[in-house]
Amino acid sequence: MASLVSVGRPAGHVEGPSKVTGQARYTADIRLPGLLYGKCLRSPFPHARIVSIDTAQAKALAGVHAVITGAELPDRRIGRFFLDKPVLARDVVRFAGEKVVAVAAESMDIAEEALTRIAVEYEALPAVFDPVEAMQGNAPRVHTDTSAYTHPPVPDFVHPGDDRLYPDIPNVVSQVFYTHGDVEAGFSQATREFTHTFTIPPVHQGYIEPHASVVQIEPDGKVNLWISNKTPFVARSQFAAALDVTEDRVCVNTAPIGGDFGGKGSLMDSVVCYHLAAAAGRPVKMVMTYTEELSAGNPRHPAVITLRTGVDASGRIVARKAKLVFSCGAYSAFTPLHTVHGSVHAAGPYRMPNVEIEVFRVYTNTVPAGHMRAPGAPQIVFGVESHMDLIAQELGLDPLEFRLRNTLVEGDAAPLGEKWKKIRCKETLEAAAREAEWDTEKAAHIGRGIGMYDREPGAFGPSSATLSIAADATLTLMTGAADTGTGSYTVLQQVVAEELQIPLESVRVVQGSTDSAQWEVGAGGSRLTHMAGQATLAAVQKLKAGLTAFAARHMESPPEQVAYRAGEFVNTNGQRLALPRLMAALADREELPLRYTGEYVAEDPVEVTSFCAQIAEVAVDPATGQVTLKKLTTAHDVGTILNPLTHQGQVEGGAIQGVGHALTEHLIVQDGAVTNVHLGDYKLPTSMDIPELKTVLGESNAGPAPYAGKAIGEHSNVAVPAAVANAVFDAVGVRLMDLPVTAEKVYAALREKNSATRND
Amino acid sequence: MIAFEYIEPESLEEALALLEQHGEDAKVLAGGTGLVNLMKQRLVQPTYLIGLRRLAHSPELAEIRPNGGLTIGALCSHRTVETSALIQHRLPLLATTFQHVASVRIRTAATIGGSLAHADPNQDPPPALLVLDARLRVQSTHGEREIDLNDFFVDYYETALEPEELITTVVIPPQPTGAGTAFSKFLPQTHDDYATVAVAARISLDGDTIAHARIALGAAAATPLRAKAVETALQGQTPTPKLMRDAAALVAEEVDPLADFRGSAEYKRDMAVVFTQRTIGQAVTRAREASGNG
Repeated sequence: MASLVSVGRPAGHVEGPSKVTGQARYTADIRLPGLLYGKCLRSPFPHARIVSIDTAQAKALAGVHAVITGAELPDRRIGRFFLDKPVLARDVVRFAGEKVVAVAAESMDIAEEALTRIAVEYEALPAVFDPVEAMQGNAPRVHTDTSAYTHPPVPDFVHPGDDRLYPDIPNVVSQVFYTHGDVEAGFSQATREFTHTFTIPPVHQGYIEPHASVVQIEPDGKVNLWISNKTPFVARSQFAAALDVTEDRVCVNTAPIGGDFGGKGSLMDSVVCYHLAAAAGRPVKMVMTYTEELSAGNPRHPAVITLRTGVDASGRIVARKAKLVFSCGAYSAFTPLHTVHGSVHAAGPYRMPNVEIEVFRVYTNTVPAGHMRAPGAPQIVFGVESHMDLIAQELGLDPLEFRLRNTLVEGDAAPLGEKWKKIRCKETLEAAAREAEWDTEKAAHIGRGIGMYDREPGAFGPSSATLSIAADATLTLMTGAADTGTGSYTVLQQVVAEELQIPLESVRVVQGSTDSAQWEVGAGGSRLTHMAGQATLAAVQKLKAGLTAFAARHMESPPEQVAYRAGEFVNTNGQRLALPRLMAALADREELPLRYTGEYVAEDPVEVTSFCAQIAEVAVDPATGQVTLKKLTTAHDVGTILNPLTHQGQVEGGAIQGVGHALTEHLIVQDGAVTNVHLGDYKLPTSMDIPELKTVLGESNAGPAPYAGKAIGEHSNVAVPAAVANAVFDAVGVRLMDLPVTAEKVYAALREKNSATRND
Repeated sequence: MIAFEYIEPESLEEALALLEQHGEDAKVLAGGTGLVNLMKQRLVQPTYLIGLRRLAHSPELAEIRPNGGLTIGALCSHRTVETSALIQHRLPLLATTFQHVASVRIRTAATIGGSLAHADPNQDPPPALLVLDARLRVQSTHGEREIDLNDFFVDYYETALEPEELITTVVIPPQPTGAGTAFSKFLPQTHDDYATVAVAARISLDGDTIAHARIALGAAAATPLRAKAVETALQGQTPTPKLMRDAAALVAEEVDPLADFRGSAEYKRDMAVVFTQRTIGQAVTRAREASGNG
């Protein structure tokens, strides 16, 4: 790979300058002639019957152009997998924050004023907030009849499990079993068994840009949609279905996305925005406030994780049974799958022959849950890795030693039977331990804790990329995949520059609308570098082949005697023709534009994963319970790094998100309603809260992405909470079974421990 | 936000006349860091908003002056107080305290007078100003009066200020010689937050005994408060570790914390004791250093 000119070098985001200079126009910045502003009145009740709605005074307010209620809309439910969510509540509200009435007005102030003039009479209904309670026979039913809710078949790229949708258990949306080996036989070989339950609250993705939608309906009925959405083509399918029109009647336009972290995959306000635009006969913009985001966005699923593990006399795990209960909130519409697919990590990166994982997604009268960076995994890994330390403690083993006895090594089958190549789990853990100086002495109240995770590169859905040479001989890569801030445009640009051996800046990258780009799944599941990268590679190969024919004609050589090398075409006589000269010649002859589209579909299951081992070092103040994260070590088993700058950005950004999840972030839900509804009360870490971060990258050329790259976007955020909780135990001997690890909880646990000690 | 009429007076007199005219229908906008949030949430809906931007260079309202003690114009930003060489030299406690407020962006906009009138009990400056015996000079068209800061905070977001009155100056009297001061802000979540509890202390020593003690807390009740029982327990005593621990324990009876996202009432009460003890200890150490006994 010595010839790499672009891949492997740090390159700043191609769209970065437009963002930092304020020139980037986000969805919320879009201005159209006659634009109105939409706003929704939301339910204050977690579960209630709508008795009556009086909108007369709102309609009478000057500047109001449309007021609509659920009863006025077609009775059609929307969603990503399960179509269970009404656009506006009909008859019943199922969470505090559900949209009940929508208004479009000439200004946001008028729209807000109009909302205050709407009278809704509710009759409160019994509600259920806890997913475990919701599964009991006497629990209130969030949906009384789910028989009309539709969903597609479970896609085949999902890890095969025994999938039961809407089983006969109260409020359960899906029940999935993953099994390998014989778990009861495994437990019969165990000398010790351990069972622990962990609770994880909902957290928000914390992107800077709240959800925004703009809808403009053309005179012929064609709908232009701008939406902060990471998967525009998927959004088009869902949006067209919600409108009951064919996809060609909708164009999803592009706008930069101000952060996603998994949360920008739903239609959010776009459908109600359409109905307002249709009713008002003018374009409408809707931008959620951060209060709406926190109380009615699509946060990470809260979960209750119960793990039972059998260990033999030599400290080796022989069986694991996991029961994972996720609250999906009042609707299941915001998730792209039937289950929370991080559930397959309930066995961790450990050798265990017998595994049974049972996963429930359960309706509750709380804000509907959605996806967030490595969906499901941080919740499960908090449980799994805390559980590992609890077992190690009971066995009298060092947490590192207990893990080293059980980590996967080359040749092992993964816990659910996957056959992976180049397993480097132990090496990654050992590298983290070395860097974190695991074995060195610690002062009083200082502790270290480990967390581990693994994740394979995303390999689903088709990707495509189009390279075009315009009439002015400029080269442009068009992708249909939004760059959510990860640097995907830049990595794709690097692939083109690398293959053609030309300077990075001679390749323009644009994201096409759904009318101009080829179908592309888009961002998500750590798939873009792999899938869109391979599609881009395929486009370059086509372009090279196509241009070789032109070059041969130009050089008057048979095509088979012309090759492309280092930025120029060379024939067997040694005659050379630089790529820019050929493109200029084609422009002269008016043979441009030319377009070459590459497509990629992953054929086989990916046979590699990437391991991540993290070690947190904390100081705990025993008088206050305050936890100070002093150092975080994150070690990764990576493939070829295509762009060290954006790669490290993902490592650091993820680690910081993990720090927030570990220590400060949680949506506080009281009686079903989120109460910390602004960023003054929902605490994201600031630059002053970030510990010393040590990154260890162990490269191997084993990945499926171009140049043997792997994925890095959803690794470093996952195990931090467990590492921190384990470090707190190491520091002061108290164990938190729920997140976040707040000072007050540690203080209470210390007091309990001290009084127990005194009473002994 | 609801529409309002925005007026920018050219002089203090004009501002006071507007307040006299509009009374409770008007709100004064200085830095806007507190008021605008309340307006956005529709918790405050003024008909008239009186912006003081044009008074930002008036000497009385915008300057820090040595004056026996020190006077600080009400329109001085937190950042100005934090970075003033005069304050850093004479009242390091204030410079330190203001440095703890929110972020540099907020401190650059927020004014000292505005934050006191806002009277959020979770703010950092009030406890520090209380232990420095600060008074507020307030003015209306009827004249001027001074309010002892101890009497200023009446209840949650409520002050002794009349609707037609404007804070013009914060007056800090001469400080006892050799006093040691300290400020603690307990931030168990992120660094960009209100305190779970904040404590300020000023201790002056007479040889081995405490001549004067001032202890005040923020985020510990519906208003900032002085911990007078703690002060009394310290007064005239030798500051041994046991004395400081026992005196600090008394603060538990003086605070009446409100449970919020920064802690339960019980936790805040316990933390008030911890940080009162720590802050007294730091102030005593500094007082000893100042008197050459360090």
